[in-house]
Amino acid sequence: MTQPLIAVVEDEEHIAEGLIFNLEAEGYRTHHEADGDAALAWLLSAKEPVAAVVLDVMLPGKDGFAIVRALREAHQYTPVLLLTARGRPEDVLEGIEAGADDYLTKPFDLAILLVRLKGLLRRMAWHAPAEGATAAPAEPKDEYHFAGRTICFDALEIVAPHGSARLTLMEADLLRYLVEREGKIVSRKEILEQVWRVHEDTDTRAIDNFIVRLRRYIEDDAAKPRFLQTVRGVGYRFIASGER
Amino acid sequence: MNITRRRGAIALFITLGVCLVGLLVTLNIGWIHLLHKRQLALLVGGIVLFGVLIAGVVLNTIFLVREVRRNERQDSFLNAVTHELKTPIASIRLYLETLQRRPVTEEKRQEFYRIMLSDSGRLLATVEQVLKAGEASHRKEKDIHRVLIDMEPLVAECIVITRQRHHLADDAIVLRDVPGAVSLKVMGSPEDLRTAVLNLLDNAVKYSGGKVHVVCELGISGYNRVVLSVTDAGIGVAAKDLKNIFKRFYRAQDVTLRQVKGTGLGLFIVRSIARQHGGTATAESAGHGKGTTMRIELPLAGTGGSSASS
Repeated sequence: MTQPLIAVVEDEEHIAEGLIFNLEAEGYRTHHEADGDAALAWLLSAKEPVAAVVLDVMLPGKDGFAIVRALREAHQYTPVLLLTARGRPEDVLEGIEAGADDYLTKPFDLAILLVRLKGLLRRMAWHAPAEGATAAPAEPKDEYHFAGRTICFDALEIVAPHGSARLTLMEADLLRYLVEREGKIVSRKEILEQVWRVHEDTDTRAIDNFIVRLRRYIEDDAAKPRFLQTVRGVGYRFIASGER
Repeated sequence: MNITRRRGAIALFITLGVCLVGLLVTLNIGWIHLLHKRQLALLVGGIVLFGVLIAGVVLNTIFLVREVRRNERQDSFLNAVTHELKTPIASIRLYLETLQRRPVTEEKRQEFYRIMLSDSGRLLATVEQVLKAGEASHRKEKDIHRVLIDMEPLVAECIVITRQRHHLADDAIVLRDVPGAVSLKVMGSPEDLRTAVLNLLDNAVKYSGGKVHVVCELGISGYNRVVLSVTDAGIGVAAKDLKNIFKRFYRAQDVTLRQVKGTGLGLFIVRSIARQHGGTATAESAGHGKGTTMRIELPLAGTGGSSASS
């Protein structure tokens, strides 16, 4: 079995070199890009599957946010771990909103970076379709059904009467959080802290945008949400039956 | 997102200011129409009062717009400095953790030490620049401890330092011979002038784009001023930015787009130092991709300039 390939997109030479040294010591193969435009072009035309991308935000050419957005628009769901020096919650949320799966602020802790990366790879491994004879014994499927819709947490997919959509890991995490607390009100602060690990008072508008996107996947009419309800001044509530 | 929101706020307040001015002008005219036959004193008083009010609102609007602009610059400065401070720290930390965590060959170890040292140098340079900018904006001309300085060796020394810093070949930065081989002396603080020249050279290298080719020239202008010009063949400066780039925190739009790293303080420091020495700092560029010439002029020492008498 070949080792997973990790793309490191980082223009700071020293950090890139250090990351690559460590990733290779962990047994990964690596590919390095230092320019935003070149990185996106490479990722979109990679000859072999890339297991994960470690992506800096401030890059010459396209910035990290734009790269994630472009990848997701091209229906590429390679897990992306954002590295950002701008650690303000707004920046983190912008990254998550763009479709990144995880983020770390610089200066980061090497051990944490490696653990998070391993986490991303493991979650993707669950989600990957089983191949040939080496398919894992059928595990109980991690799915959730409601009102004619199915959220497949392992396939990162949501199937609704009006079509199906791919979810990013972050979206799946948020949905799972809401679904597990079905009927209960979940505050925006709780989402920030529990789901995305952002611990600061911040403008919560980014969450609203996120919810709007989830609604587009599951609601018949995103303007009149039945399942993902807004509780004014508090937060959100998931109602499986879709009743008020 | 933040920026667009703020743009909205500016638009709102400008509209408000313009509406208020319009309202006041209308009232003023109304006042004149109502009163011009009746009471002269009341009429004159009213016109004066309205005039003051209109001026006040206009001034207020201008002030507001300028303040918002400054705030924006400060914001982008914070972003840039955050990046410039955190990146070397992230790198040093990464290498320390690597050394702590893994067995590393002696050769790699030495390489890591070298990288960490260069990052701590970068960190220090940023910190010093921020501190110097703070100092530069407070210090008065008379506070500088002045000595007689020969400019040529000072510039030559700075060129050597810059070459080393950026690992450049000898011909990447050259200093032309001084016409007439005269000695160009100024009264000033050697440390400050070195900072200014180093900043100019650093900029020339940083904004050179690909190949670095910088020419420095020293000469005399108008019989009593020393001129140092630093010319690069780099990305150039748009005409509208030629003055702005000396403002604190200002960074040209295309520079930020290209993500060339910097704090927006370098040229501000250069200009402050030049002014404190009784001189000026200017920029010239034919436009994008056509290179830039930075020029500092300082009073020549011993020619009856202000510095010679003190």
